Amino acid sequence: MQFTASIKKTLWSGTLAVLLMAVIAGCSGQNNTAASGETAQPSASQAADAGNNTSEQAAGGTFVYGRPAAVTSFDLHNQITSNNAFAIDKVFESLVAFNSEGEIVDWLAASHTISEDGLTYTFVLRDGLKFSNGNAVTAKDAVFSLERHLKVGGPLAIAAKVDSVTAQDDKTLVIKLQEPYTPFISELSNFSNGIIPADFGGATEEEFFKNPVGTGPFAVEAWDPAGDVTFVKNANYWQEGKPAIDKLVYKLIEDDSQAINQLKAGEVNAVEALALQNAEELKNGADTAVVTNGSWVTEQLFFNTLDEHFKDVHVRRALALALDREGLTKALTFGYAKTANSLLPTTIPYNANDTIKALNYDVEAAKAELAKSAFPNGFSTKLLIASGNSTRAQEAQIIQAAGQAIGIKIEIESIELASFRERFFAYDFAAMLNSGQADSPEANSILAFQTDPEGFSKSYWTHYTNDEVTKLLYEGQKTADGDARVEIYTKLLQTLADEVPYIPLYYPDILIGARSSVEGLTVLPNGSVRFEDVRIGQ
Amino acid sequence: MMMPGKLQGSAAGNRTSYSWLTAALIRAAVVILCVMTAVFFLIRIVPGDPAKMILGEYSTPEAIAAMHHTLGLDLPLWEQFIRFVKLLFTSGDTGNSIVSGTSTRVLIAERAPVTMLLIGMACVIAIVIALLLATVAATNKDKLADHLIRIFPAITLGMPIFWVGILFIMLLSVRLRWFPVGGVGEGWSGMLYSLTLPAVTVAFSQIPTLVRSLRAQMLEVLESDFVVTLRAARIPGRVILFKHVLRNSALPTLMLLGVNISYLIGGTLVVEQVFGIKGIGSLLFTSISNRDFPVIQGIALYCAVSVVIISLLVEILAKWLDPRTKGTR
Amino acid sequence: MKTTTIYPELQTDGPKTTLLRRILNTPSLLAGSIMFAVLILLAVFIPYLSPYDPTEQNLSAFLQPPSAEHWLGTDQLGRDLFTRLIYAARTDLTIMVLAEIIPFCTGIFLGMVAGYYGKWVDNVITLITDTFIAFPFYLIVIIVAFASGAGQRGIYITFILVGWIVFARVVRGLSASFREQEWIASARTLGLSGPRIILRHLLPNVLPQAVVVLMTDMVGLLVAIVTLGYLGIGIAPPTPDWGTMIADGQSFISTAWWLSAVPGFAVVYTGIALSLVGDGLADLWRKK
Repeated sequence: MQFTASIKKTLWSGTLAVLLMAVIAGCSGQNNTAASGETAQPSASQAADAGNNTSEQAAGGTFVYGRPAAVTSFDLHNQITSNNAFAIDKVFESLVAFNSEGEIVDWLAASHTISEDGLTYTFVLRDGLKFSNGNAVTAKDAVFSLERHLKVGGPLAIAAKVDSVTAQDDKTLVIKLQEPYTPFISELSNFSNGIIPADFGGATEEEFFKNPVGTGPFAVEAWDPAGDVTFVKNANYWQEGKPAIDKLVYKLIEDDSQAINQLKAGEVNAVEALALQNAEELKNGADTAVVTNGSWVTEQLFFNTLDEHFKDVHVRRALALALDREGLTKALTFGYAKTANSLLPTTIPYNANDTIKALNYDVEAAKAELAKSAFPNGFSTKLLIASGNSTRAQEAQIIQAAGQAIGIKIEIESIELASFRERFFAYDFAAMLNSGQADSPEANSILAFQTDPEGFSKSYWTHYTNDEVTKLLYEGQKTADGDARVEIYTKLLQTLADEVPYIPLYYPDILIGARSSVEGLTVLPNGSVRFEDVRIGQ
Repeated sequence: MMMPGKLQGSAAGNRTSYSWLTAALIRAAVVILCVMTAVFFLIRIVPGDPAKMILGEYSTPEAIAAMHHTLGLDLPLWEQFIRFVKLLFTSGDTGNSIVSGTSTRVLIAERAPVTMLLIGMACVIAIVIALLLATVAATNKDKLADHLIRIFPAITLGMPIFWVGILFIMLLSVRLRWFPVGGVGEGWSGMLYSLTLPAVTVAFSQIPTLVRSLRAQMLEVLESDFVVTLRAARIPGRVILFKHVLRNSALPTLMLLGVNISYLIGGTLVVEQVFGIKGIGSLLFTSISNRDFPVIQGIALYCAVSVVIISLLVEILAKWLDPRTKGTR
Repeated sequence: MKTTTIYPELQTDGPKTTLLRRILNTPSLLAGSIMFAVLILLAVFIPYLSPYDPTEQNLSAFLQPPSAEHWLGTDQLGRDLFTRLIYAARTDLTIMVLAEIIPFCTGIFLGMVAGYYGKWVDNVITLITDTFIAFPFYLIVIIVAFASGAGQRGIYITFILVGWIVFARVVRGLSASFREQEWIASARTLGLSGPRIILRHLLPNVLPQAVVVLMTDMVGLLVAIVTLGYLGIGIAPPTPDWGTMIADGQSFISTAWWLSAVPGFAVVYTGIALSLVGDGLADLWRKK
């Protein structure tokens, strides 16, 4: 008896709550219809049902990829961050591309030639190239694409001094430079140099990037700029029979452990940007695996060379000598990174990592070095890091302990990413932890940012100025690939290792967590993944 | 919250319900305006620049300046504020997202239902459990059951939501596979199923205060002269309990629930992060991290309006429940 | 002038033995106090109890399982987990107590003023409270944390901003109801000034209830500190803190679950202790 009565009461309370909900829902519903002027992006379907994934067919099916940030834009000329880059490169492709080894290969171009003087680049397009809407790709589309990129500039602007971009005929594209720029061919492999239809295929810019049309293996089917993206296979893709899967879903999962647990439970097929400390767990799991590749990233400790303490080269050298980079790498990366000697990761040509003489762990030498500086008795300083990154926080604590061993007292200042950027863009830091990342397999890519005091970032906000280094940087850009270029970069990198405007700590691997049944994932050194050959398996 | 004193303190009886409602609505409007103004300036005082979040760390000053210009962020603050107020009053919208260009209203309308369902489910679960526990405890005062139930809130009160969530996921989803690990399922049943675990997690944080308040109120009523009289009149115990005691002790708990819901409307962030739910909370976190001003303002507006509506509803319900105001209607 | 109070037992001028007996007769208060005292003693004497330094690293012995040497094993930087756990209690409990002082005082003050004077004073204070409640809670927390940089400063500022509301609401309700009661009315007819009535008569009567709320609120604050740590905007390393410890350990939850489970239990333990104290105090003052 008591129970029936209590159920009544419960029902009453339940109704009350539902009523409240209904009223609010009603209000938001009104808001929704009021916004009819805007077209709502249909939210991507959660196609991750286990039924779909475990289907026995070898090809076809929907591949669900968990990612920490949403795709917010497909405008290839205005974007740089990986959340967008790795979606743009599924839809748009460039004339040349890099493979998983980081070598440049012809992609939309069947072949390319570079003139002896390094000024004329000629590309011949593949036969039968089509956009995902079925229209043929001509050299005119390439001209339009590159010219828009030159006009827009954007975060991955074309650094070469381009004289002209012309379509010699339907299939031949000629680019002329004003002066030689060896990294050019490599930079053309960037997603930002992808080919889009001339005049946006007749659409307005805004419309086009809402419903992008490219030559890539996938086309956008549904897109929620604060949520998921569903891609469908491009039926007109030039690599016949590819992609093997029918659909690709980018599922937004912001929380690390949530992503890993969804992978373990089979709710996603793979997850992007696995944190180093989570790799071991997935590697040992029965149903999960870790797919890796070397990256183009160098994790570094940056010094502000205008800082009262760190302007002294002996101080920088002392801290470098006090730091056990090997121990740090071992403790924090679980075998998924290489200890760094050179500024350039081993995946980048001319890295000289094996030959360079870096300042290795030696506390006595560190103390001796500090004694030579203006602060023989040590000093207090601050280390700026972005919060929310567990590995960086641990790194900072190791560096703090290293400093303490030679009398440098380091306070860790951990602030949130947007504020962190404000601080170092204003040169308002003594030392910071950050990484340098190449955009293409080119030594110049990292060096141009980190050694050019005339550049907008003044040697990546370190203010590091060494005329000899800058001279070598420009020489390297103009020297054709070969031994002469090796010599230039080796010399440059050794100077950096001696003067340490930044301490390269390690080169982290790219880690993709996947179900063990997944086959054919190609991990690229920039962190993107090719899904053309992916098979979901059982 | 605009409820409690209004009834007890001021002369609720001799004011007409019409003028009461007008006053409440004016207050609501003032509250919403205060929130919007405060949010506008607060998020701009915090260091951080949306352009740098979009363009990344390798962006040139020219690119940043160009983006500031397109977004109108290069205008003086007061001019930005006037623009914002104009937009708010002419369209009821807070503008398009800086990051994705989508209308804030669309973004919120897509996410609000999930969050509301989550809050609704959590409240239903919390109320059911709290009613059950409080009734058992109050009717068995100082017996074993009472002591056990009183320890329960003490235990759950100190449990961080994310920690409970992680433990639930590890145990019930990953090990036992009873529930999906996270995300939101399709269709009504899929949604309800996938939101069960998050809702229980949220309910965990609500139950302690509800049980405590309800038990205390019930005890007070049970020990009051009124109930003693009823008992003397030989009215059956359960009738007294459910018809009189619960009704009379529901009021303060309802108020508490109102406050809790107000808190939850903008406070489901952690549980959404842990369970990978794309709701209002996770949108808020992402937008703050990216300094997506229009979206932050939109969410603040949405939350303020919802909270105000909830308080009004609670106030109306309280008037209806309160035996003192009952006679006057 | 004697203070008026409706909780006569609060006055310490009664025989001490009765008070002690009453405490002993309130098992929840006794249990809670003992639990809390144990934690405090551990936190105070940890430098003498543990041979380890909470920030001392050992990169060659990281992530060790519990052993006789390291009771709870070591963390990712090879630091002794047990030592850090107790040092974290120092950090978190200190913040918890200090961050409550100002909100507790302002909350009670504003609540009494609003409740006693009513009218426009009440309206203004209620409007401010309403605005804060209509504000998405995490928006304030995150913005303040972002604006003030990392660490403890942000936590103090946040709780000075929002912490008073809960006290103001409770005290305002109480004060408003006391206002209608005879003893306040007679104090007024005796010609006592408002501030005097508030401080000498209202305050002693609202304080017990406020203290009970304080106990619960401290638990809430502790949970909030820990949650900030989880969101990555809590206390800066290397200061040990339960929230950061849980967050750091989360990556190893299937290989070394204790890394994040144990600091979690520490929070729950503190929560139980404080809730029991709060419950017990409420019981003590309710008993006639």
